[in-house]
Parts: sequence; C-alpha cells; structure tokens
Amino acid sequence: MASQTEVDDGIIWSCGLSNVYQTPTSFNKTHFKSLPMDDEVGAVINKCIQCGTCIGSCFSGRVTALNTRRILMEHLAKGVPIENHDALWFCVTCYACQERCPRGIPVTEIILKARNELARRKGLPGRLKNAFSYLEKHSALVPGKDRNLEMRKELGLPVYHSQFDDEARKEVSEIVKRYLKEVIR
Amino acid sequence: MIHNRYPGIEKSLYYVFDNLEIEISPLKGSSCCPAPSITKSVSQDLWLEIGKRNIQLAKNDTIMTACNGCFTTLFEVSEKIGTGDVRHVAEFLYFDVGTERIRRSITKRLPLKLAVHYGCHFFRPGEYKKFTSPERPKILDELVEAIGSQSVDYRYKMMCCGGGGGVRAGATEVSQELLEIKLDAMSNEEIDAIVVVCPLCLNQFDNGQKELENSRNRSYGIPTVHYIQLLAVAMGMEPELTGIQWHSISSTDLIEKLVKGEMAEE
Repeated sequence: MASQTEVDDGIIWSCGLSNVYQTPTSFNKTHFKSLPMDDEVGAVINKCIQCGTCIGSCFSGRVTALNTRRILMEHLAKGVPIENHDALWFCVTCYACQERCPRGIPVTEIILKARNELARRKGLPGRLKNAFSYLEKHSALVPGKDRNLEMRKELGLPVYHSQFDDEARKEVSEIVKRYLKEVIR
Repeated sequence: MIHNRYPGIEKSLYYVFDNLEIEISPLKGSSCCPAPSITKSVSQDLWLEIGKRNIQLAKNDTIMTACNGCFTTLFEVSEKIGTGDVRHVAEFLYFDVGTERIRRSITKRLPLKLAVHYGCHFFRPGEYKKFTSPERPKILDELVEAIGSQSVDYRYKMMCCGGGGGVRAGATEVSQELLEIKLDAMSNEEIDAIVVVCPLCLNQFDNGQKELENSRNRSYGIPTVHYIQLLAVAMGMEPELTGIQWHSISSTDLIEKLVKGEMAEE
C-alpha cells in the first residue's frame, strides 16, 4: 500500500492515536518536512501517548501558557508545527519533562530545536536580543565591565577571558558571525 | 560569568585546590562556554563550535568548572567530539576528593542552616549526567554537611530557580514569578543562606531578590552563596576574599557565622 510506505517505519501505528487520522495518507513525511527537525526527531514525537507527565512536571507550565502535552498533541493530531508556539520561550530547560517522559521523548531538546525556527521567524524575545550581540562583540554573553576588572584586581586575580584578549576575542567573534548571520537579523 | 561577575568564586576555587594540593590554573583565552540553552535555542552548530574551541584550549588537561551551564556545554560537547575531560567542581569534590577528606581539611566548621539548590543543569539531563540521580541528588547536601552546616529540606527543592533557558533575559516576568514561588518556599524554613553551585542560579537568587523588591514589593533578605565560597572559608580563607560583600543581599548574621565558625573536629 502506497500510503503505508510513506510512514513505513511503523512508528505511527505504535502511538495508539491512529484513530485520530481519517486515513493513513493524512499522515506522511510531508508533516515532518514542515518541521525544522530531522525525521528522527519527528518520528520520536509519534511515540507520545498524551499521558501528561511532561506538563505535570513543568513548573513554567503552572504559571504560563506553555503546555508541552498540548503542543505535542496539536502536532500529532493536526500537524501544527512545534515552532508555532511563542510560549516555547517560557521553558526554563530544567529537563524534568524529558527526564520523566515514559516514552523517552526528548521534550526539552525538541523545544530548543523548535526555538531555532521561532527565532528565525520572529527574532529573539526581550533582552535575549542583546545577549547575542554581546557574544559577537565581546565573546561573552555576560561581558565584564570596568568594575568587574577592579574586583578581580582587588582579589589579585589575572584577567584571561577572551573578551580581554584581542586575538581570542576575534576568533570567537568570527565563529559567532559565521553561524548567527543566517539566523538572527 | 564567574570571570566577569563573580571573581570571588574563582578566588575561592584557587584557595580550595591549593589546600587540597591539586594544581589548577586559568584557561587562558577561553570564552563564554557558551551558555547551553540560549545558544542551542539559536544554533546548535554555534554552540558546538564555540564549545569545541574552549575544550581544545585545554589540550590534555582536565577542565574544572564551577558553573552548571559551562559544565553542561563543555561536557556534552566533549562527549560529542570525543575529546576533553570536563568536571564540575561539586561532583569532583564529592567523587574524587570525598567528604571524609573535606571534613579533615577544614579548619573551622560553619554552623549554618542552608537551603540547597542544585540547579537543573548540574544533574540533568541524566543521559549525560550519569553520576547522580536525576530526581533526588544527594551530593550537595552531603558536601554541605561535610563543612558542619545543615541542609534544610524545603518545598520545591528540585524546582528551577527560574533563571534558565533564556527565561531570565527573554521573559523576565515569568522568571520572577518562578523565583517568587521558590523563595516563598525557602522562606518558610529557618535558613541562613541559599547555597548553589552555579553563578547563573546565584545571580537569579541574589540580584533577582533585588528585582522582586522593585517590581513586586516582595522582600526576602536571604543571602546566596556558592558552595566553593563556603568551603574556602571553612578551610581558612578570609570571608571577604570570597567576594560575598559584593552580592546584592547580605546579612551580618551570615558574615558573623562565617568569621567565627566552630572548632573543627580532630
């Protein structure tokens, strides 16, 4: 059956949600192609049994709109891309959901990966924007200021961070430019 | 972050390693690790490439870090590229030095009641951090007891400080909301300080308390310290060399206890 070869690894049949789909053809690899993820990650999401352990473990989910179980459900049932949810930025990446998922779904890593596409589309939220300009300019997400250097001096400590070493700083800045150029406007 | 914001943590590290007669020196030219979650949120390749550069700077030496973020990045990258030996100072002290030797090497006990906060990235994800429980680690509690302090149990002990994942910078209100829950739970117990093993957690608890005063009119007045600062003082270092006087929240009570201490056991 042609429709079955499209999902040929059989993973969706083990997810227990096949009744959600009207026909097997509604679930094919094109769903995965809409994701920033590789097939491997896309396939692993299909193991979700909607038990809610992830959201039950999520402290951020208690106080924000972040609902990991629902995000996975909407992806599975309706093909809504993970990266459509702005609430992904509320994840503190504590890894409790990932650690406890009885199906071994790397929930936190999936969120981090989906954020790549979210950042590409809408840019970074809040003060995160500045963080990467600091990384590019100073090779530090938290750059040292004069006061910090005084503190080091007071304690008799050497200054050795790449931020204060021209050659090392340039090296790091080059790496940041190379990878960030296409990602963040 | 330790180099640029908390040099007292670094000073304490040198003091402790000198005391234990283990050679340690600055990793010259090393950059931001880079922070795992916020960098991975933007580009996995960027995270890997900068992490790789830092690991290669160490050549064949062990990289010792006192930060959960650096630990996560450098440890995971080292596993991925197959080179580099990366250790977090807390697990190194626990496994390689041992609480017995720590007990013997302190000159004074610190009679403190402490709220232990591990920081999520110290013990998770368990896929990489295989050395302890991803649910109920005991390492830091035992390290705290080794210097004569008491680890006070509290609600939400394993909850995030609210600073991780770029939430502190990207969604500050959420970060404050989570911090408030955590601090409410801690302040239900009688404690002298919060003890952490990560400068980001330290920053969140310490500067975060100042921010909560301004934004939510909530005042807790609980000082935060890094474990290595306490260990250095217990081994005989002057408390002001730990830089705790530069933290936002301080307490004379804590400083007094750090200065005086109690006679160590023979």
